[in-house]
Amino acid sequence: MKVIDWLDERFDLSDVKHFIAEKGVPVHAQKVWYYLGGMTLFLFGVQVFTGILLLLYYRPSASEAYESVQFIVTQVKFGWLIRNVHSWSANLLVGLAFAHFFSVFFLKSYRKPRELTWVSGMLLLFLMLGFGFSGYLLPWNELAFFATKVGTGIAGAVPIIGPFTLQLLRGGEDVTGATLSRFYGLHVAILPAITTALVALHLLFVQRQGMSVPLAIERRLRPGERLPQMPFFPNYILRDVLAWYVVIAMLAALAAFYPWELGTKADAFAPVPAGIRPEWYFLAMFHTLKLLPAHILGIEGEHLGVVAFGLLAAFLVFVPFLDRRASRGERSPAFTIVAVLGLVYLVAFTIIGHYAE
Amino acid sequence: MTDDEQTHPASGPSTFERRTFLDALLAVGFVSTAAAVAYPVTQFLIPPPSGEPAVESASAGRASALKPNSGAIFKFGSKPGIVVRTADGEVRAFTAICTHLDCTVQFKADTSQIWCACHNGLYDLGGNVISGPPPRPLEKFVVNIRGEGDEAEIVVSRA
Amino acid sequence: MLWKILCGACFFLLMPASAFAGQAAAEPNTCLTCHSTLPDQALAAPATLFRDTDVHRERGFACVDCHGGNPLTDDKARAHDTTGKEAAMAFRGKPSGQAVIATCARCHSDPELMRTFAPKQRVDQAAEYATSVHGKLLAVGDTKVATCASCHGAHGVRLVSDAKSPIFATNVANTCASCHADPKRMAGYTLPDGSPLQTTQLADFQASVHFEALTKNDDLSAPTCNDCHGNHGAVPPGVGSMANVCGTCHVVFQQKFEPSIHNQIFDKGCVECHGNHKVAKPTDEMLAAAAPGICTPCHTAGDKTDKGALAAETMRTGIEQLKTRIDRSRELIASVGNDGIEVSDQDLALREAASKLTLARTELHAFDPARVDAIIADGSKIVEDVDRAGQNGVAELRYRRRGLAVSLGAILFVVVAIALKVRQIDQRRGGH
Repeated sequence: MKVIDWLDERFDLSDVKHFIAEKGVPVHAQKVWYYLGGMTLFLFGVQVFTGILLLLYYRPSASEAYESVQFIVTQVKFGWLIRNVHSWSANLLVGLAFAHFFSVFFLKSYRKPRELTWVSGMLLLFLMLGFGFSGYLLPWNELAFFATKVGTGIAGAVPIIGPFTLQLLRGGEDVTGATLSRFYGLHVAILPAITTALVALHLLFVQRQGMSVPLAIERRLRPGERLPQMPFFPNYILRDVLAWYVVIAMLAALAAFYPWELGTKADAFAPVPAGIRPEWYFLAMFHTLKLLPAHILGIEGEHLGVVAFGLLAAFLVFVPFLDRRASRGERSPAFTIVAVLGLVYLVAFTIIGHYAE
Repeated sequence: MTDDEQTHPASGPSTFERRTFLDALLAVGFVSTAAAVAYPVTQFLIPPPSGEPAVESASAGRASALKPNSGAIFKFGSKPGIVVRTADGEVRAFTAICTHLDCTVQFKADTSQIWCACHNGLYDLGGNVISGPPPRPLEKFVVNIRGEGDEAEIVVSRA
Repeated sequence: MLWKILCGACFFLLMPASAFAGQAAAEPNTCLTCHSTLPDQALAAPATLFRDTDVHRERGFACVDCHGGNPLTDDKARAHDTTGKEAAMAFRGKPSGQAVIATCARCHSDPELMRTFAPKQRVDQAAEYATSVHGKLLAVGDTKVATCASCHGAHGVRLVSDAKSPIFATNVANTCASCHADPKRMAGYTLPDGSPLQTTQLADFQASVHFEALTKNDDLSAPTCNDCHGNHGAVPPGVGSMANVCGTCHVVFQQKFEPSIHNQIFDKGCVECHGNHKVAKPTDEMLAAAAPGICTPCHTAGDKTDKGALAAETMRTGIEQLKTRIDRSRELIASVGNDGIEVSDQDLALREAASKLTLARTELHAFDPARVDAIIADGSKIVEDVDRAGQNGVAELRYRRRGLAVSLGAILFVVVAIALKVRQIDQRRGGH
């Protein structure tokens, strides 16, 4: 309390104090989905924190990366814990980001006036996938090396800009120490910088506009009626903290029962191990591309697939502007169906891709 | 904090005790989880005794412990190395893995040579094969002395 | 007269400049100029060979130093004068039989002469040759055997260290095999005991581990024909000397084998078990008194009175057990290391244990199970220590897991406390 008064004397925190005191969160049947964004943000914070700790010991060179991770895990006190948390938190982060995305998609919170919140959010989702892809290579073990080879190979399949993109990503024709350096730069500098800016914007939008109420519930309100509000501070924030503790519990459980392995050091000249595949969050896309026939209507299947996924990503980014009905406050069953199909496809193909050997 | 007693008036001492008890419980919970995070993190920051991963270089012990015309085995990562001091004081280091069948070599003081007990391979103090089955010379390392006086340390690096 | 013109014409038209260069350095040599233009290859080839790369020519020797005759005239009769009037050494044509040896030995058995050209080179080759099978047969008139020229060449002789020389280390076997692998040529020759001389040596040798070392592993110290049979005094190693021959390189094995019981029994020493030409990479399977082991010709597994069979079984079991224990230990350490335990010391120790296996395989050549057991025991002790460290690693991993489970409990406790607090705050105000 005294600290706040001290600051208030100097910086006039009356707007802030007013904002916090008056800020409310609408209460309704679907409010449980509100927590997902905060949980995702919390996990991002965990990643930044554990990531900074790791980079005190990690060495981004092909000859030392694996050994430095081995060093962290075997010699540095609690290194195994920090590394395990970082690896599992990454997976949880992507999972929660997708859950957050789907909940917003289903509840149509992207509709006017929250279009830019959605666009920044989609970009953040892609950035999280970029973090996952770039970070996966850093331990420089066999699985990571070949998964990166396959993944960047797919990027190279994009027509016209593909080969250039592949070289840009790999730092050359093949996956080498140059790739490791690039991915490291991406993972600890470039992506964090862009993410920080986008997260700031995303949060600013949310704070400015308040929480969106699902369309179905909004439509059931009588004119002039407002939903009951829960004070943000302390009621909602305490629930947020509860959600974060649940996330911590999940992390502890995963790290305890499924510790992350070191693997064997990457050897560029070793044969590709059988059943190589990317991390689970790329599995659906990967398996789809694998299933595509070699040629469709004369065009290479993989090219078509990659372009299709690109178009899908673009479609998703522009959903708020395409869903006219939701923007007008009307029911939009078409987009609900798209969301359902998307979720079913992702879940199904992830499972199929996992069990296909 | 605004205390809205009008909506739900405090119902007496037991509620107050329960409230404070829960607050205390929460405080204990938060503090202990904070400590459970802070402790590993602070321990993590303390540099481990081995310094850094022994990929490019490793320590081969104190320089003063290596007498002239003697040798010692040291650990380079997970592989053995041999450090020798010649009769005129020069310190040299090689891999201790015999190039024949991977046995660990040793220093022979009476002939000032490096010898492999398995099949009698002999190397000179430059790592070159003198006699016996080894097909290739011993890989040579770069030797530096770090520090001064009694605590001076022999640091061996890959060539 | 006419042929003189023709000869001269050919000389100007067909002689490449290099011949002039070669001749300019040495004295004029009409042998070369004439013979290299002859259509008959048998007469022309020696000249061109000698003119190109030849170690004798490079040191200033010429055709006449071996063949005699007059090198300064292009008159055929005078050049080939056999009376000695034309030149210091009369022309003697192509030497054959003992004359070949005499021709080479004229210089190569002369210490003072050789000292001026190659001080370290030996001068007893001819004497050695006389003791060899080739030399002895030549002495009784068999001209099919190898002479100096058969292996070294006569014209176009290269140093032994020259990779193109027929007696460079990797070429020796093929050179010997040019006669010894030819059944027609070797027909009629027998071993001392009367059995026919085999012609499979080259094929056998090419299947051997020595040949692999020579040709694939670039190990020029690996033996080829001359290393075991001798260079000039070539004789198959005799009864009793086999262990010495192998022991020139395989010292430790000879040291173990020599005092052992098998050395007193075996005629052929190492060759009894390892073969002579087709020496294969030895395996642990060889050590058994039942197939595929090689103790079977003399020993019978299962025969309790057969001390040798019992010894073989003891030693083999010891080695196999240590191998298995090392493999199991390696797996444990790899798994524990993969999960995040420091295991570099254990890696080193397992390397030591593997060395004990190598030492055990050496020691078995003394055929004393007690000695092999001692080494196996050393190795087992090392593996025991490694296993203990491995188990400590497993315990550490379990401890970590338990620690996390405890903190999970604490976290869930806090979750419950927060949930209660939320309920309490909701009751106080804004509760929903």
